[in-house]
Amino acid sequence: MNKIFILLVFLATCVFGADHIVDQKKKTFIPHFIKAKVGDNIVFKNSDPFAHNAYTDDETNEFDIGMQKPGEDIKVPIKGEGKFNVECAIHPNMLLEVEVE
Amino acid sequence: MDILKVIPVVFLAIGLSASEDISKWLIPKDIPFPKGNEITPKRVELGKYLYFDKRLSKSKEVSCASCHDPKLGWSDAKQKAVGVHGRVGSRNSPTVINTAFQTHQFWDGRSKSLEDQALGPMQADVEMDMEIKEVMDIITSNKGYTKLFKEAYPNEKLTIDTVVKAIATFERTIISKEAPFDKFIKGDQNAISEDAKKGWELFKGKASCTTCHDGFNFTDGSFHNIGLGDDDIGRQVLKMKRVAWKGAMKTPTLRYIDQSAPYFHDGSVYTLEESTAICSKGGRAPDTPNKSPDMKDRGLSDQEMGFINKFLKTLTGPDLGIEEPKSFPQ
Repeated sequence: MNKIFILLVFLATCVFGADHIVDQKKKTFIPHFIKAKVGDNIVFKNSDPFAHNAYTDDETNEFDIGMQKPGEDIKVPIKGEGKFNVECAIHPNMLLEVEVE
Repeated sequence: MDILKVIPVVFLAIGLSASEDISKWLIPKDIPFPKGNEITPKRVELGKYLYFDKRLSKSKEVSCASCHDPKLGWSDAKQKAVGVHGRVGSRNSPTVINTAFQTHQFWDGRSKSLEDQALGPMQADVEMDMEIKEVMDIITSNKGYTKLFKEAYPNEKLTIDTVVKAIATFERTIISKEAPFDKFIKGDQNAISEDAKKGWELFKGKASCTTCHDGFNFTDGSFHNIGLGDDDIGRQVLKMKRVAWKGAMKTPTLRYIDQSAPYFHDGSVYTLEESTAICSKGGRAPDTPNKSPDMKDRGLSDQEMGFINKFLKTLTGPDLGIEEPKSFPQ
């Protein structure tokens, strides 16, 4: 039974992509580096008591999640290969590096 | 010894030391500088001359110090900056104190170094209104300056890059001195009044000022639209589609804040008391489009705002002791 469950999870991951949890805490992305595959997602959490706004200007993976209030989770799909940086539009010294295979 | 009794004590000690960590409130001993522009006495001396030299403006009446005056909290006591021929700029002159520690310069943060920042006002028509060539002609034909440059940057050509490097180096020495707050945070309970201590607790607690005015420089370098109701697009000038940047401005330092009125990017507020009231009530114009969700009415009483104002005044230390040169290179 367990084996079947693990297999289903594995297949779901292959089909839907894995979720990479990135928390925003004390004005820092945690972790500050992730390695992902095309089709995976980045799930931004906000554990700070104030807003964040993750974005990237990367041509392939461009996104801007807008104002993310404390406690909100926002999922962003990874669309293409390469390396890119994610910053916070409010706190410019926050940096997340993403490497996509 | 019963290990089960010891463990909670150890955890409590760890917890207490973590909650009492004051390191982020201490001014660093080392001043950061970019690679290739180390701070040396010769560079500081040269940069100081350039900073105060009005000959580097079109009208010969304006220098960096005209808007960032050491006698006026390194600002200018005007609502908006005034440049050559009385031309008025669009924003209030921010203080230069502790800009060495800031990663983004100007209210909208469009410069990522003091070197890059120094280029702007020289060429802006509402400030010094000079062409780079005009600046360089003045400097390269001045024997005093060419000698100083050779001494300060012996391995570099005298170009506009070297000029702004020298100005930036001088600006990096404009650092706040030990204020009553600094003594208090290091343990001197008599350094600030009881009212100011209440203000400090409110500042980092109920009032949530540290959401933005965080750390030893009392700014985390963040950008917010604080809801003043004006039409300045702020940081959005860098990228129109970045919605969060509409009307967003850099959080200013609060060091020596009682010396650099008027306040905010539009210089519209002349007292610290009014500034505190506006911020603690969530902005002056609550319906400002794109106002930061963190600008909220914090429900402070007049007395509580008074405590915060008393605390803010403990962030001013002694005079920095930097004066305009009595003469300039000839």
